[in-house]
Amino acid sequence: MARIVGGIGCSHAPSIAHSFDRGLQKDPMWAPLYDGYAPAKAWLDKLRPDLIVAVYNDHMNRFFFDAYPTFALGVSDKHPQADEGWGKRDLPDLPGDAEFSWHMAQSLVEDEFDPTICQEMPVDHGILSILPLLTDNRWPAPLIPLAANVIQHPLPTPKRFFHLGQAIRRAVESYPKDLRVLVVSTGGMSHQLHGDRFGFMNPDWDNEFLDLLESDPQALVKLRHHDYMERGGAESVEMIMWLAMRSALGDKVRRIHRHYYAPMLTGYGLIVLEGVDA
Amino acid sequence: MAATYRDTPIAGTTVFTGARSRQGYRINKFAMSLTKEANRDAFRADERGYMKSCELTDAEMDLVAKRDWKGLVAAGGNIYVLIKVGGAVGQNLLQMGAQMRGQSFDEFMQTRPGKQGSAVERKQ
Repeated sequence: MARIVGGIGCSHAPSIAHSFDRGLQKDPMWAPLYDGYAPAKAWLDKLRPDLIVAVYNDHMNRFFFDAYPTFALGVSDKHPQADEGWGKRDLPDLPGDAEFSWHMAQSLVEDEFDPTICQEMPVDHGILSILPLLTDNRWPAPLIPLAANVIQHPLPTPKRFFHLGQAIRRAVESYPKDLRVLVVSTGGMSHQLHGDRFGFMNPDWDNEFLDLLESDPQALVKLRHHDYMERGGAESVEMIMWLAMRSALGDKVRRIHRHYYAPMLTGYGLIVLEGVDA
Repeated sequence: MAATYRDTPIAGTTVFTGARSRQGYRINKFAMSLTKEANRDAFRADERGYMKSCELTDAEMDLVAKRDWKGLVAAGGNIYVLIKVGGAVGQNLLQMGAQMRGQSFDEFMQTRPGKQGSAVERKQ
């Protein structure tokens, strides 16, 4: 049987990809971010998961508003990089696991989640910008991309993401192979990228979110999208995706690492958790 | 109260609702097309001609010509696709944001914690 061995919640941002590609790891602006990643990377090096399930959102690189899926699951053995509008980065294709993905599709649908099934799933910075967090040079394990709509309202509710994480866990635990699975949710934290409130960040709220995610996720499930947007900026509503990672780990968790840094436009948060089976 | 968003205003914020998405569909479709290199080249070679082929209205084309990101958001543009227009015309998100806030780029950068040496970092 496959099982979940850990979870990571972390921000995604084009700026992280930008800093990585330009080798700015030691730059005074960026060093705190990369230093903050180091313990998570060390943990992951030791953990050596066989598979990564990543809950994230696409930023109009795979999907457009002509047909925008609320949930979408990549089911191929390989996920190419999307061109986000300024050419592709120098990165290899991301490995997938078609067999596990199709199992997951079946399990999710039987669990009354109905994702759009994608045999082609080019991925964008929603996944690729967390590369430096995971590894120095290449992907440590095949990755299953599970994209969610957190852009065009109405969005799935926080509760829906909490239930999604539980369904991910059931999908993992009903897989016959002995795989050790890491669940990752990316997105946020506080940021607003449009209008008079462009550049808004709220580190106090971001850190409260990290506290509650660990100790009382139901408090986050109860909040409305409006609450998230008001506290963290409109685009920060994507933080609700972290609830899927959290619930996939079960009721009780042990925190391995946590870091937060807010230098420019987005609160860069990172939390590494392991489930504690009752 | 419903957890989904129901049009209650948030100051300084344009929530991307279904109504906005419908209003801005042409703009967003044009912007999305710039994820293809050939389209970026065609747009750069003849901005107006390319936008006409995308069936933008004159008012929408004027907003793009003026690099009026604030106006484009008000017209239903979504920032995640507008950023592709920015990329094609050589503006990054920080520059676009400064315009939306009615500031020069330097003025805006002065408000950033990382430039003030006051970036919030918390280790736990």
